[in-house]
Amino acid sequence: MDVVLNQAFAGLSMASILLIIALGLAIIYGTMGVINLAHGEFVMLGAYTTWALQNHAGLGVVTALPLVFVAVAAVGWIIEKVIVQRLYTRPLDTILATWGIGIILQQAVRLGVGAESRFVRGPQWLSGNIEIGALVMSNYRIFVISFSLAILVVTWLLMTRTEFGMKLRAVIQNRGISECYGIEAKKVYSVTFAYGAGLAGIAGALITPLFSTIPTMGTGLVVDAFLVVIVGGLGSLMGTAAAALLIGEVTAIFSIVINDTLGRIAVLAGIILLIRFRPRGLFPSDIRR
Amino acid sequence: MQSRLLYDIIGLALFAGVILFGVPALFGYDGFELNTFSRYLSLAIVSMALALSWGTAGLLNLGQAATFGMGSYAMAMHLKLKASGDNLPDFMSWNNVEALPLIWAPFHSLTFTLLAGLLIPAAVGGLIAIFMFRARIAGVFVAVITLAFLVAFQLVVIEQQGLTGGQNGLTGLAPLVLFGWSVDIYSLSFYYLVGACLMIALVFGLYLTHSKFGLILRAIREDSERTRYFGYNVANYQTIIFSISAGLAGWAGMLYALVLEFASPTYMSVSFSLAIVIWCAVGGRESVLAAAVGAILVNLAEGRLSDVFVEGWHLLLGVLFLMVVMFMPRGIYGVIVDAGRAMRRKPVSKKEAQPFETSLNPKRES
Amino acid sequence: MKRREFLGQAGAVGTMGLASGLSVPALLSGVGRAYAAADDIPVGLLFSLTGAVAVVEHTLHDAALMAIEEINAAGGVHGKQLRAIIEDPASDPATYADRARRLMIRDKCVSVFGSYTSASRQAVLPVTEQRDNLYWYPTLYEGRECSRNVMYGGAVPNQQQDILLPWLVENFGKKIYMIGNNYVYPKEENNYCRILLNDLGGEVVHEEYVPMGHSDFSSVINRIRAEKPDVIFSTLVGDSDVAFARQYRAAELDPEKMPVCSLTRSEIEVKAIGGDAAAGHFSSAPYFMSNDTPENQKFVENYKARYGADSVTHFVSEAAYFQVYQFKAALEKLDPANISPTEIRDAAVGMSMLAPQGEILIDPNLHTHLWPKVGQWQSDGQAKVILQSEERITPKPYAAYPGQQCTGDGLVKS
Repeated sequence: MDVVLNQAFAGLSMASILLIIALGLAIIYGTMGVINLAHGEFVMLGAYTTWALQNHAGLGVVTALPLVFVAVAAVGWIIEKVIVQRLYTRPLDTILATWGIGIILQQAVRLGVGAESRFVRGPQWLSGNIEIGALVMSNYRIFVISFSLAILVVTWLLMTRTEFGMKLRAVIQNRGISECYGIEAKKVYSVTFAYGAGLAGIAGALITPLFSTIPTMGTGLVVDAFLVVIVGGLGSLMGTAAAALLIGEVTAIFSIVINDTLGRIAVLAGIILLIRFRPRGLFPSDIRR
Repeated sequence: MQSRLLYDIIGLALFAGVILFGVPALFGYDGFELNTFSRYLSLAIVSMALALSWGTAGLLNLGQAATFGMGSYAMAMHLKLKASGDNLPDFMSWNNVEALPLIWAPFHSLTFTLLAGLLIPAAVGGLIAIFMFRARIAGVFVAVITLAFLVAFQLVVIEQQGLTGGQNGLTGLAPLVLFGWSVDIYSLSFYYLVGACLMIALVFGLYLTHSKFGLILRAIREDSERTRYFGYNVANYQTIIFSISAGLAGWAGMLYALVLEFASPTYMSVSFSLAIVIWCAVGGRESVLAAAVGAILVNLAEGRLSDVFVEGWHLLLGVLFLMVVMFMPRGIYGVIVDAGRAMRRKPVSKKEAQPFETSLNPKRES
Repeated sequence: MKRREFLGQAGAVGTMGLASGLSVPALLSGVGRAYAAADDIPVGLLFSLTGAVAVVEHTLHDAALMAIEEINAAGGVHGKQLRAIIEDPASDPATYADRARRLMIRDKCVSVFGSYTSASRQAVLPVTEQRDNLYWYPTLYEGRECSRNVMYGGAVPNQQQDILLPWLVENFGKKIYMIGNNYVYPKEENNYCRILLNDLGGEVVHEEYVPMGHSDFSSVINRIRAEKPDVIFSTLVGDSDVAFARQYRAAELDPEKMPVCSLTRSEIEVKAIGGDAAAGHFSSAPYFMSNDTPENQKFVENYKARYGADSVTHFVSEAAYFQVYQFKAALEKLDPANISPTEIRDAAVGMSMLAPQGEILIDPNLHTHLWPKVGQWQSDGQAKVILQSEERITPKPYAAYPGQQCTGDGLVKS
């Protein structure tokens, strides 16, 4: 029973990291249909920005978060303006282009900062565990879980309760007609892309204290995040959250029952079956296109 | 249509001339350079195979590396058995495998190996295709399913260390003996062997794309619903081309294992799969010939750039690639076609100039 | 960057390449490097500068290049300079095979120094053996290989575990939890460990392998909590080790009660893990940066002067460094007009030299006699050596396989 509880928490923790990475990807994909393969590199940029802020300005991980968000969002905004914007008419090409951007970002960081793994100190006030009976929960992981939920809520509010969100939804439904009503679709796209990139940056900042910070760290993450988005369903925030939770928990259960490798294989097989029988994902958004 | 066929034949002849006579002469029949080029040629086959499924039928297969890897392992298994003689392959005894596993046994036979390297990937590709296309999966979902399959397959291969050699792959292989001829991978004859394989694959690919079969595939690419209304069984056509493409990839994998003298699970990595997509895109996915040329050019550029810019070649490659996607959406092929049109001074209507882009916009699943 | 300067020195390789790159035939036929055969000695450096393994291999590259430059600055060998030809195999085995061919066949290097992972060594092996070249491999590895064309500078299982295991069992207890990445090195080390544990009466409570690059260890940590072992015996490499160590720390598992003893964790990983999280845990290796010998002081000083005060040396980069000096010493024994890889090998056998770790010796089986140590990590990122082998340990690459021995004539089965 202890193992089950602890694994459930481990799964929740994995899910929160998946969610926070996948959310930005989901927004970009849901809005523009762009599969952003450079997303992992945005995560990596976030991690490196945190490292730079900690090393040169002495900021902690949590205090650096807003700055990281702004910095990576700015990079995303520039990339959207210069490159992605020209490719909206060719969605499959954006896969290739963003992959190229990913390589460039990765190599630029390597040449600029070096190939070695960087150390980012986790926040001291979040060290330690909470123990409830046999259930041991790391404070930092609890923080990441709550933060990812907060981001989910904020994003949902942004999409549904603000004027920008309304415009965004209008553009998703029908770009042409929204433009007729005076919505600047281009601007909406730029901001959305920057927001998605910024979220990736935050994800990078939050995972650095737990993982290894190297230029190639994003490559593996993007595949997982991409799968979460597809399983969750196109453009559905709740779907993404549910998919992250499902994949996180299932991985955790499998990895304790069998082992981590077979667990991952089983999850991938499950994903394939799910897409085959529910290609629109767990929670397809009800937006008609 | 007739003229396109003519152009393709001229192109193929030119390409064959360069590959068969130009390249060896240029390199002064140097063993090392020929070997390096043999590698490029085998990669050209997997690139042209992707052009068949992606360019012609619009099915972006991100799992191409998986079937490529199967071919390379088939070849490597045969050569490993040969190198081990009567003993169990060394890595098996290290992994406490007692007897030769059943699926290894038939690879003693060269004939079986050659068939398996072609047919097993084709069958696996076919099964995945049936699984997907019966449910009318299309667009980006094809990419996702094949990608997930690739990742899972690579994990399985690494996990089954006693059967596959795990992370290290299959190494310590014997040279291939073909009709009594022991293949020297640094020789001109081996280069011609790989070259001939590429030519056969290209002729076959061109034949397919110019046949009625190819026409129907393009129709499916443009609008699968409408093709279905015409009474064609779309799923069957998609399955066949997917399976052919997978088989060719396996074939390329066999040659690749020969050239590099080992098989590795990295042949089945996501990055390798994406690299294939890139070669294909750079050359031009609409034409199998262009895709083959793309593979050769990108690899050549990679080899040369890394010679000159030891630290920065990856960055340059990324920039170069981004430029191609941005400014040459149809690859080198598109540039040549447009230049040809301009030379004939036909007024190019906008619609005609970009038939492909519009078609590739996958209709968003609604 | 210093490396750039060095490249500049090696003729106008870059500019020449660029200029000749403009004409198509030159582009096709390779960049025209001039190989005046007689006036210098071409050596290949085959370490990944990009990709996932670059984290470690870049430091090996740096160390080897530094040794080459030191030798050149001191007048070279027989008055000839060593010419380092640098390739970047980008952490991909296929590229390793390709670049190794370039170095050995096209560039006619008399020796190639390279690589960290077993997979990359295996990829380089065919061409090395066919061309009878010499590959200097600085990394600790799983043993069980006996090539006549590879100079193994790192430790094999018996050199890492023979002194370690009895000490572990005595000081911490008999329950061992094995965790490693899923490939041949961890499995072999664990095989050997089980043999030793059998004699010591130890017990393996769990043995598990995670995929390369695996980075979420929540389940592993839960399992460790449930199994309550005395020691975690880790063969995780690179990113996985860094992530594991950080999450181990975040979970507040106490190194005093349940230390992680790693065969692979070195100063470079500890730097990424952070001194706090690494402190208290152990590593077994023949060299630590804190080693107190004059040779090591010079090595560390030069290294820091060259690559920055915060750079670190570790047990693989030390080997990458001393192997270049072994190579040089072997060359000096040969007739300068007539050097070949096999002659270098034969001259190197039996040679001893003072390396930063102590006096080392090349065995006839081409492995190296080393000085095993166990270090405990301190919060400043350095290791305090708490156990040191009293004698130099002979490499036994087939120690786990009775009846097989790697000798100067290759593998002998009895």
